[in-house]
Amino acid sequence: MIASSTKPGDALIELVDLEKIYRVGTELVHALRGVSVSIRENEYVAIMGPSGSGKSTMMNILGCLDVPTAGKYMLRGRDVSTLSQSRLARIRGRQIGFVFQTFELLPRTTALKNVELPLMYAQVSRKKQRAMTALQRVGLEDRATHRPNQLSGGQKQRVAIARALAQTPDIILADEPTGNLDSKTGEEIMAIFDSLHSEGQTIIIVTHEEEIAARCRRVIRLHDGRIATDNIVSRPKPATQYATVTAQ
Amino acid sequence: MKLNPGKMVTAPIRFAIGMISQTALNVATAFVQIWANKGRSILTTLGIIIAVSSTITVVAFVGGFGKLMTDMVQGYGTQFMVVRPYQWSSSQRGGMKRVRLDITDIEAVRTECPSIRRITPFVFTHNGEISLGNEIAEDVPVRGVTEHYQTIRNFHADVGRFFGPVDVDAAAQVMVLGRSVTKRLGADESIVGEHVYLDGNRFLVIGLLEKKGGNMGEDQDLTVMIPYTAAIKAYPNLRESIPFLAEASSPEATHQAAGEITRVLRTRHGLQPGQRDDFRIDRQDQAVKRFESVRNIASGILAGIVSISLIVGGIGIMNVMLVSVTERTREIGLRKSIGGRRRDIMLQFLTEAVVLCIIGGTIGVALGYSMTFIASLHPQMIEIEVPLWAVAAALVSSAGAGVVFGIIPAFKASILHPIEALRHE
Repeated sequence: MIASSTKPGDALIELVDLEKIYRVGTELVHALRGVSVSIRENEYVAIMGPSGSGKSTMMNILGCLDVPTAGKYMLRGRDVSTLSQSRLARIRGRQIGFVFQTFELLPRTTALKNVELPLMYAQVSRKKQRAMTALQRVGLEDRATHRPNQLSGGQKQRVAIARALAQTPDIILADEPTGNLDSKTGEEIMAIFDSLHSEGQTIIIVTHEEEIAARCRRVIRLHDGRIATDNIVSRPKPATQYATVTAQ
Repeated sequence: MKLNPGKMVTAPIRFAIGMISQTALNVATAFVQIWANKGRSILTTLGIIIAVSSTITVVAFVGGFGKLMTDMVQGYGTQFMVVRPYQWSSSQRGGMKRVRLDITDIEAVRTECPSIRRITPFVFTHNGEISLGNEIAEDVPVRGVTEHYQTIRNFHADVGRFFGPVDVDAAAQVMVLGRSVTKRLGADESIVGEHVYLDGNRFLVIGLLEKKGGNMGEDQDLTVMIPYTAAIKAYPNLRESIPFLAEASSPEATHQAAGEITRVLRTRHGLQPGQRDDFRIDRQDQAVKRFESVRNIASGILAGIVSISLIVGGIGIMNVMLVSVTERTREIGLRKSIGGRRRDIMLQFLTEAVVLCIIGGTIGVALGYSMTFIASLHPQMIEIEVPLWAVAAALVSSAGAGVVFGIIPAFKASILHPIEALRHE
């Protein structure tokens, strides 16, 4: 219903002069110092930067896990920077699909039930069917009844991606999605992101690996809470090349 | 997602289904968690288990004894009262030499008290000696009464007959025997028609009382009944002090009847206002009330003990839930990041605490039943059973303990910040 209000080409995400100040003990940490970015639908963005550059803070705000101290965050034309906790939870559940470095699957819970979880919070019908469709998209329909401890690392991350996809989110927000995987498995995961992107999915990956960033269509580099560079990648490296590079 | 007007109507229904399925999932999650920490869960619920099982057992016992007492008291009938001479204190002079209650008093009560339906003198000695040939039964309670005693106290002869008004008027030396006396004399039903000696006086056995069994350690079948007129003859010293039993015309008239007796006796005994009664009226309905108030106090004390033990059990639950919340901080963070609101998280942990408590309550009920059952196997045990309301109350109050003591951990879980929760090691 919100989708219809945005015309193609309009910004899906619009960050305007975003600032974030934390208090750590008695010290104030200026994590973001005026970030303005616009991301359209079906973009494939990598956010990079050294630790302390503010990329985690930016991801948290993009994912509606946190709100900015100043500035505006427009998601599909709606200002989400001033919303209540429960509204933010609702947006996280319906418009954002998180993929974490450490997968964060519930132990003792089957893959299918893990994927159903966001559907339960969103109180939608036909949960099982939707969850199954999501598992099919990551090629794990035959592992639906397996528990996380019966799955490999790559399979776990694929279940996590299926969980992120279950609610057909506006954005997939991946935080170092290959960080805990070997290069071959990481390649499998990136191939899934590639294919999701080709199907029209908007994907934002926070990473410090150049090889990962090189596969995206746009790389935003942060430094000291500001955007250092924002480049369109004209010729992203094909999958096979990436695989050989990391295999060395 | 597109707006579909046709689907809008079903929104509340879908919401309800969503709530139900979320609750079902919460319960399922709770079971998974509890099963994953079996040992810890059992130890945690021990407090609740002990609280509930001991309550169930004690309630069953109190109920059993209560029923016994009520049956006994009501078996006597609540309409009758016993009036006996009574000196309130030794300092009171005058009454000692006087005939304190005699047959003329009883006759006056009978004719002047409209609320009284039946009345019988009750000449009593508790150590009569009865002999049949060489067989002797000692310490037999002897009751000298009229035929009305049968109806008032529900004693009937099932072999032979009870004595009638003619026997009473004639002071006939006839006797009705209780079954235990018959047994002590080594006789059977053929004793009816025989003569026995009661403290040296010859009596004709005309009937046997139907068996009543024991009551509070007293053998009700160990008694003999004779016309009170014959009793006065046999025990002349009892003549001056004759208690009597009076039965009111209805349970409601009991109070009225007692008032009438008091008035008649005070007038006859010439008591001045301010002087105390020289008799005492023991009413069965008051005994029932006294007993009930004792039972209510006992129930109150019991409820207090139960609530204390439930609090102790609940604190155990709270403790383990706090640990659980800390252990599962990352899970909470994840749940929040995929759309779980504070209230969803809160409900999940609250459900878990309640499920834990209900499991404890159920085990406690089962244990209480077993203990009651084992106790009931003892041959001299009274009839006890676990009342259904106690089971329901036990389960409801353990669920209540789950809510009360689960709320703090659940709240703690719900206010965790998603980012910090996800970073938790």
